[in-house]
Amino acid sequence: MKSLEQLTDSVFYIMAALTEPRHGYAIMNLIEDTTKGSFVIGPASLYTIIKKLLKEELIVLHDDSDSRRKVYVLTAKGREVLTEDIKRRKVMIELAEKGLEGDKTI
Amino acid sequence: MKKTKYIMSWGLAFAEKQDLEKLSKKAKQGWRLKSLAFAGFRLEKGAPEHVQYSVDYRLLKEGEKEEYLELFSQAGWEHVCSSYDIHIFKAPYGTTPIYSDTESAVDKLDRLLKPVSLIGKFILPLTMISYLLMNFLTGPIEQFSKIIFLISMVFAVPTLMMVVALMLRKKKLTITKSY
Repeated sequence: MKSLEQLTDSVFYIMAALTEPRHGYAIMNLIEDTTKGSFVIGPASLYTIIKKLLKEELIVLHDDSDSRRKVYVLTAKGREVLTEDIKRRKVMIELAEKGLEGDKTI
Repeated sequence: MKKTKYIMSWGLAFAEKQDLEKLSKKAKQGWRLKSLAFAGFRLEKGAPEHVQYSVDYRLLKEGEKEEYLELFSQAGWEHVCSSYDIHIFKAPYGTTPIYSDTESAVDKLDRLLKPVSLIGKFILPLTMISYLLMNFLTGPIEQFSKIIFLISMVFAVPTLMMVVALMLRKKKLTITKSY
């Protein structure tokens, strides 16, 4: 993962899950439930991304009283980056939706 | 005492997939991975099991191991053994792979590459300098640089091989998974 300027789907889902304080396992569960299992994140990927987000100060350790289940949450900077990426994704979706609106089926 | 045996590894950096598949095959015959050994694995006789193995590289600091292993276990990956920064897990077939996206899988290879290329940056110039010295100088310096050259070659060759192998794996990952 070179830069977090353009969030990958995995990073986007994890950051979306961390808009509220959650531990790793809760992040995995939320993503799996929300997408009905169509998007899953492996434990090694999740751990790598959590470490990366911590380093970039996009998330912060919220509660480490249980060393097996550390709780993280987005920082102000993290919320900003996520908001920017939502805008970027909206442009993509709007373009596609607009294109599909006009009934041009052959 | 349980029966154990040793099997050789091709080197996880070079042939991770082949090594892990071999471990799965052995587990099916009841020879289950017990621990990492020098240039190989130690297996222990038990009930046959159908499992896939995965390896991750991560140097865990104090207080990080619990969370790391918990994540794997919650995702269905049972921790088998570790040695320094190498961690091996097993899970039934069909379990979500430990690396689900290309970016973090590339990160794993980068973590592996870092120490190797650091050694390379030191050992390659040493090899070249000693090679030049032994060819262009005579006397005790020639003898001395000959010895240095031979010693550095012993390290330079496997280091280079590892760098190339890891670079190729990285390339393969980014080519096959992105479109």
